[in-house]
Amino acid sequence: MASVGSEDGDVGFQIAPMVDVVFVLMLFFMASAGQQVKERELSINLPGGSSTQAGTRRTPPAVTPIIIEINSEGYVVINNTQVGGPDDKRLPQLRDQLTLMMSMGGEDPVIIRPSPDARHERIMDVLNAAASSNVQKLTFG
Amino acid sequence: MASKHKADKRRKEMRNAPEEDPEFQIAPMIDILLVLLVFFMSISSTEVLQVNQNINLPVAADAKAPKDNVGQVIVNVIWVPLNDIGILEINDVKYNTPAEIIPVLSNALMRAPQTRVLIRADRGVRYAFLRQILKAVGDAQITSITFSVMDKEVPR
Repeated sequence: MASVGSEDGDVGFQIAPMVDVVFVLMLFFMASAGQQVKERELSINLPGGSSTQAGTRRTPPAVTPIIIEINSEGYVVINNTQVGGPDDKRLPQLRDQLTLMMSMGGEDPVIIRPSPDARHERIMDVLNAAASSNVQKLTFG
Repeated sequence: MASKHKADKRRKEMRNAPEEDPEFQIAPMIDILLVLLVFFMSISSTEVLQVNQNINLPVAADAKAPKDNVGQVIVNVIWVPLNDIGILEINDVKYNTPAEIIPVLSNALMRAPQTRVLIRADRGVRYAFLRQILKAVGDAQITSITFSVMDKEVPR
């Protein structure tokens, strides 16, 4: 971009427009970063493992496991009481129930028994509710 | 006298100014590019996960952030709704039955004893298939299993 009479045309370094543009860009990226979807994890524990040594006698502790069943339509049942229908993603009743059980000594293992046709999404809803209730021992049974 | 001369020169510059186009300024452009670079570096994680575009992960808002791990095997479980079957994929190799992945898992466990399995299953996967996968992982002597979920729905 040749300019006529450019000997006097040295505009010099203009910091004000640059700072304005940088701020606008930064605002845009801050807004879009908050909407980004991130991947997260939910873990379970399988019984047994490398820490179990052959020859050590393990006396099973006397605990009553909490059994959560999920049927094929998506109904969640705990101890024969229904706590969530298929449309209920947050499962507040299940969370309350689990929090109550955890507060009375948190050593009880939670066993999840989905029916063979239960969707993975529903199983994750239950795992999510258990994670929010701070369940420590979670497994599939 | 000198100040009047300076004032005249300034007025002359101001009158001449509209005729000139500013030249291309490279310094602000480099600065902006550096800001963009720093931004993208900060939002990308250091570990590159295997992302499979066909998998629709379930949403779980209370799930934990991924933690650092010594070794993991990522098992992608694609669900075909048409015939209600699942396909496993590890390291871009597809498997039809969970029993086929036991050798792969055993190898990974031999290389790194702390290996865990990260299952990235589509939300439509039936538990019958998942149970076979869990059994296969158990048969391979791996006890640490983690499921991948999203923290919120993908905006459409």
